[in-house]
Amino acid sequence: MIWLTWRQFRVQAAAAIAVLAAFGVVLAATGSHLASLYRSDGVTGCRGGGCGQLASSFLDDAGAGAYSVVYALGIAGIVLAPAVIGLFWGAPLIAREFETGTFRLAWTQTITRTRWLAAKLALPGLAAMAVTAGLSLMFGWWAAPIGQAARLATGSSFPLGMGPFSLLAFDAHGITPLGYAAFAFTLGVTAGLLLRRAIPAMAVTLAIFAAVQVVMPLGIRPHLFPPDRTTAAITSLSSLSGATHMSGGSFAFTVRNLPSQPGAWIISTGAVNASGHPVSTIPAACRHQGQSCLASHGIRVAVTYEPTSRYWAIQWTETAIYLALALALAGYCFWRLARRLS
Amino acid sequence: MVIEFHLNSRSGVAPYLQLIHQVRHALRLGLLRVGDQLPKVKDVAAGLAINPNTVLKAYRELEYEGLVAARPGIGTFVTGTLGGGSLAAHGPLRRDLLRWLARARRAGLDDESIEALFLSTFRSAAEEDIA
Amino acid sequence: MTAVVETDGLGKRYRRLWALADCTLSIPAGHVVGLVGPNGAGKTTLLSLAAGLLAPTTGTIEVLGGRPGAGPAQLARVGFLAQDAPVYAGLSVADHLRLGARLNPGWDAELARSRIERLDLDPAQKAGKLSGGQRAQLALILAVAKRPELLLLDEPVASLDPLARREFLQDLMGAVAEQDLSVVLSSHLIGDLERVCDHLIVLVGSRVQVAGPVEDLLATHHLLTGPRRDPATLPAGQQVITASHTGRQTTLLVRTSDKILDPAWTVSEVGLEDLALAYMRQAGPGRRNHHHLEVQK
Repeated sequence: MIWLTWRQFRVQAAAAIAVLAAFGVVLAATGSHLASLYRSDGVTGCRGGGCGQLASSFLDDAGAGAYSVVYALGIAGIVLAPAVIGLFWGAPLIAREFETGTFRLAWTQTITRTRWLAAKLALPGLAAMAVTAGLSLMFGWWAAPIGQAARLATGSSFPLGMGPFSLLAFDAHGITPLGYAAFAFTLGVTAGLLLRRAIPAMAVTLAIFAAVQVVMPLGIRPHLFPPDRTTAAITSLSSLSGATHMSGGSFAFTVRNLPSQPGAWIISTGAVNASGHPVSTIPAACRHQGQSCLASHGIRVAVTYEPTSRYWAIQWTETAIYLALALALAGYCFWRLARRLS
Repeated sequence: MVIEFHLNSRSGVAPYLQLIHQVRHALRLGLLRVGDQLPKVKDVAAGLAINPNTVLKAYRELEYEGLVAARPGIGTFVTGTLGGGSLAAHGPLRRDLLRWLARARRAGLDDESIEALFLSTFRSAAEEDIA
Repeated sequence: MTAVVETDGLGKRYRRLWALADCTLSIPAGHVVGLVGPNGAGKTTLLSLAAGLLAPTTGTIEVLGGRPGAGPAQLARVGFLAQDAPVYAGLSVADHLRLGARLNPGWDAELARSRIERLDLDPAQKAGKLSGGQRAQLALILAVAKRPELLLLDEPVASLDPLARREFLQDLMGAVAEQDLSVVLSSHLIGDLERVCDHLIVLVGSRVQVAGPVEDLLATHHLLTGPRRDPATLPAGQQVITASHTGRQTTLLVRTSDKILDPAWTVSEVGLEDLALAYMRQAGPGRRNHHHLEVQK
């Protein structure tokens, strides 16, 4: 059965290898230049306060020209890869067998449906995770200088505005792409099993996967670990790349980064009064006054954030969630196929 | 292969009977002699696209009549001949039949009536023989 | 004789529709069984149930003494050829044989190879490029070379031209003779079945109308023609299947094991095709019972 699965998977495997090769070629061609730029700008092995400046200038150099394009393509490729896998490897896996009627040939050989499904899931599933791992590793190697510099740089924006926790960067780095690939693949397979037609299965897979990929970072990821809190004076708002928004009787703060915690994930910002309670309405005395008025009333900026030290914990936890979902979907498929026998 | 079978699916005669008739006919004509092997069941079934049981039934019937014998694992072989010689040997029967036909014509029967009369009498007589 | 397929009150429902209902059969081993009926009568459903591709809604079915599709041992003993002979279009003929060899421990490679050779199939040819007849032949080889005890064929010759049909049936009969196979084969072309089947099941409107050895069926069904008469006046042992009347004449298809003694009737034999058609007619839409259909002319 492994032979048959491989035979049916040959074309997709070739496409995956081609993509990995192309990806690798582009990264290799530009990666060494990037690394030497990192060295020549003096950021390598740099310690101390002046490093921030060097790092910033490196990032500016890197941002100009081809590197940002490659960076963007790399991120896009890794973010899209699980969806492509789910659509083109997962959805047709069983759906095509139903559409062409070949399941009647396969299920009447001397092989149980369980063994059949296990072989059909194992090869492409493992390949899916291997491909995304490969892409992620290659890109991680290539983007290492940028990541280093971004951690050191103060007061400069990340390339394309992406800190390690930003939506796209988090999805394209580390170990989460593996989880997404496993989930998207099994989601596609399940859709194909239930809908029995490849095209509708592909559409449903895309819709559900996209929805999950939006819900997870917005609704679940912030709650995986209890965030840290800190407060700062309003006067330091500008150094936090922040701003105040006043409209009518209420106001709000936004903060983009914390110099004390570079690369931290700002989950929410708010205003608290001197005793630590949140406020959002402007005290009467401060209407039509500026920030300093708020400050004199004891109002401070409160930031809820996850520090970069939590990065890997969150990565592993999220990956575990996706893998659990993938296993649950696979288990459902086995159960549903076996059910027909009784 | 000594002889080859054919099947007329429109004749209304059961296939196994057609096979039996063809063997008997071949015996009568001398195309099949004692010691010859009949075509294998598998080959007849595959050649004519008929059920092997049909061929088996025909061969069993022939064996029951003493004309052939089955040797397990080898095949079915001719063991008997059809006595009674050729049709020419039945001169008296033939003359009686011609006389009867003349009488039937004088009675006003046409060809179809003669055939119908003959067949129905022949069949009911055959049934009485069996019963 | 042991039964290859034994069903008791077998039924299969899809949402609201009963594809098969109240099916009680005992198919003996060592025969080629024809399963006939109009389209949608439940032939595919019955065969799929026997192959283990479907699970029954009600009733039971036993194939070769075991539950259909339950485990490799059971699957090895039953070969199945689905309608339109599905094959993997991207795989070559040789690949399909490899498939058979790897997925079936009982695979007879020599048998498969010799059949491919005899049929003059190009092993490198992609299965998607084969003609309908060749695909059916390939699918038959796949089903037969694993050396099953029972072969189930769903309308194997429906979309084949006459020559391909004849060649397919020739191959099938050769396999039956060689391997001592039991076969259940469905078709809505009854003429083909007359040559190859020695057992018949007529399925109409999801129900079994008649089942039995062809020889018995032909011996016990008679066409009676005679002066106009009410079928109800017939003796008890004679079951009227179809009846039609003109002003002066009555024609009945009757099933009985007794002799027809009434001299008013002209008794003639019925061919298998006419017999099957009569049962199919009498169980037309809306008639899910065994009463006869009266046709006024």
